[in-house]
Amino acid sequence: MTNSPSPGEYQLLYIIVNCGLGSKVIRYAKEQGLTTGATVIIGKGTVNDRLLEFLGLTEIRKEIVIMVTERAKAFRALEEIGRKFQLHKPHTGIGFCIAVKYFFRGLKHPGENLEESRGEEEAMPEDSMYDAIFVIVDRGKAEAVIDAASKAGSKGGTIIHARGSGIHETSKLFAMEIEPEKEVVLILAEKNLTDPIVSTIREELQIDKPGKGIIFIQAVDRAYGLYK
Amino acid sequence: MHILGEKLKEVLFAVLPITVIVLILSFTIVPLEPILILRFLLGALLIIGGLAIFLFGVDIGVTPIGNLMGSTIAKTNRIWLVGLSGLLLGFFISIAEPDLHILAGQVDSVTSGLIGKFYLVIIVSLGIGALLAQGLLRIVNNINLGKTFTLLYAIIFVLALYTSPEYLAIAFDASGATTGALTVPFILALGVGVSVLKKDSEASEEDSFGLLGMASAGVIIAVLLAGIRAKNLVITGSLEAKVTASASLLAPFLEQLPVITREALYALLPLVVIFLLFQRIAFKLSKKTAQRITKGLLYTFIGLVLFLTGANAGFMDVGSIIGYSLTAGGNKLFVVIVGFVLGVVTVLAEPAVYVLTHQVEDVTSGYVKRRLVLVALSLGVGSAVALALLKIIVPGIQLWHYLLPGYIISVVMTFFVPPLFVGIAFDSGGVASGPMTATFILAFSQGVAEATAGADVLLDGFGTIAMVALTPLIALQVLGLIYKVKTVKGGIEADDE
Repeated sequence: MTNSPSPGEYQLLYIIVNCGLGSKVIRYAKEQGLTTGATVIIGKGTVNDRLLEFLGLTEIRKEIVIMVTERAKAFRALEEIGRKFQLHKPHTGIGFCIAVKYFFRGLKHPGENLEESRGEEEAMPEDSMYDAIFVIVDRGKAEAVIDAASKAGSKGGTIIHARGSGIHETSKLFAMEIEPEKEVVLILAEKNLTDPIVSTIREELQIDKPGKGIIFIQAVDRAYGLYK
Repeated sequence: MHILGEKLKEVLFAVLPITVIVLILSFTIVPLEPILILRFLLGALLIIGGLAIFLFGVDIGVTPIGNLMGSTIAKTNRIWLVGLSGLLLGFFISIAEPDLHILAGQVDSVTSGLIGKFYLVIIVSLGIGALLAQGLLRIVNNINLGKTFTLLYAIIFVLALYTSPEYLAIAFDASGATTGALTVPFILALGVGVSVLKKDSEASEEDSFGLLGMASAGVIIAVLLAGIRAKNLVITGSLEAKVTASASLLAPFLEQLPVITREALYALLPLVVIFLLFQRIAFKLSKKTAQRITKGLLYTFIGLVLFLTGANAGFMDVGSIIGYSLTAGGNKLFVVIVGFVLGVVTVLAEPAVYVLTHQVEDVTSGYVKRRLVLVALSLGVGSAVALALLKIIVPGIQLWHYLLPGYIISVVMTFFVPPLFVGIAFDSGGVASGPMTATFILAFSQGVAEATAGADVLLDGFGTIAMVALTPLIALQVLGLIYKVKTVKGGIEADDE
């Protein structure tokens, strides 16, 4: 494990927009120089309108775009995306960033082998006892991720169905990018278990090889409902 | 109000193309009477409003019921219960389907009563029920979808050998006609409801589709079986000319309204009963959710009535007149080209197309893009209409000249296409042949047949829907193949293993 040349702090960028805009956000982000790839999850939002509520039309489909990138790039991209998609207007969408502690992904050039980044751990709150481990892999591999995590002591995990395009997936179909299906696995783990869980997943799913998926970890301030 | 605007935009995109094309035709090569144009525009307006309301209703009413039903059935964990509920659900939903009654009535009259209306309705409903049960069991037991369809169409092929070509056309038409505007969204949702329970996410996604395709196959088998009993039947009689040259703008709408209201009510009734029954014994939804679904059913009803009234009263006459005058005008090639264009735009306005494409996006998290599915459907239906018209114009071509190679190609393709697309493709056959096709495209091709010397309006009119139900199978599987080839990772060395 070598530290990347300029680790910097990584940020997880969330953009929540109306359905159909997700792919456009990704394309725009790529134009802006975000090369890490992105994942889109389809969700449902609510509306706040008495008439619509009376009519029973209270659900609206949303797309949640998540991207991991360096801090400076993330802030700039958020700004740019906010301007481009007019997020300041009501009913368009929201965007925000959350700090990422670690970020693993395979790289194309064997020389670098692995990029790893470490956030400023001192900055993390004292009482942060848990980590949220996010693993994004190809469709169908989530079970393997959870199996690997359980082997290392994890209590379980949540699978979220998503689509996304990594840096290796850029094929097009009539000018439309194909975004293959992904699975996002969210595992909450005690801090001392994070390292074994992550290294088992990295080993078993060969995350260190390019195109096999990414892992990022965020600090959790409080957690409830985890049994010991 | 954003949400209303969104839906309206979507619906406008669906209905405007066909409206514009027809208007262009009417101002250039097929002059229509002003009253007809006005009626057409009024019809388009009703269709836009009706479609928007209907789709809302399906979203919050029909789809949730279907999903809940599916999950509830699968959770019982008893094979016989799954099969039995499939049988009952399929039977009761299709027996109330107005389109089935219309079709059975037609068959009754063209076979001079040899195949009675009541008899056919029962046997088709049984067919749908039986295959729906099979479809559910297939999902639960992990049986390969491609193989299932191969087997089903092999059965159909054998049965087809024993029936006359005219009757064959009726059977294949029936598959498109009987899976109506309400049945389709419900069966689609049912499939998803059962398959989401699967732990293996890949299988769960693949099994979300295909149930409707199986129901369609069930209809064909049932109608063919009914025909074998009357093996030497002679298809005679002609369709009563129902061209109502009404001079009034509103009269046709007002005439249609009560008829359609009753039909929509009948079609919706089984769903309401099923929902209320299951709410009592199994769903036990909160009051708020139950209210929402009830509202959804109400919207579905209102939307369906508006939509069908618009389509029947506003579009049908225009369709047949355009078909007639175009053909009488002489240029046969032109007729086929216009048919292609009309096919391309008509399918966009099919209600079930919206339900299917949204579901595809939901299930695949947007991996399979809605727009691409629409493009494939449009091209498929466009060529279907063009081919169907060619058959009417060129006397030598028989329907089975298309159907046999068409279904052979579809079945062979299932072996190469990703299972997800096999399911979507076979479902889309029933989806594409909805109420818009049954009114506008059918009227158009009947108009063409009327103006063609030697073509029989009735016999050549049959077969158009069969074509519309066939070509999407190929078009969407082709899309699947393209996806398969294109979804590869680039930039990684091949020495992965």
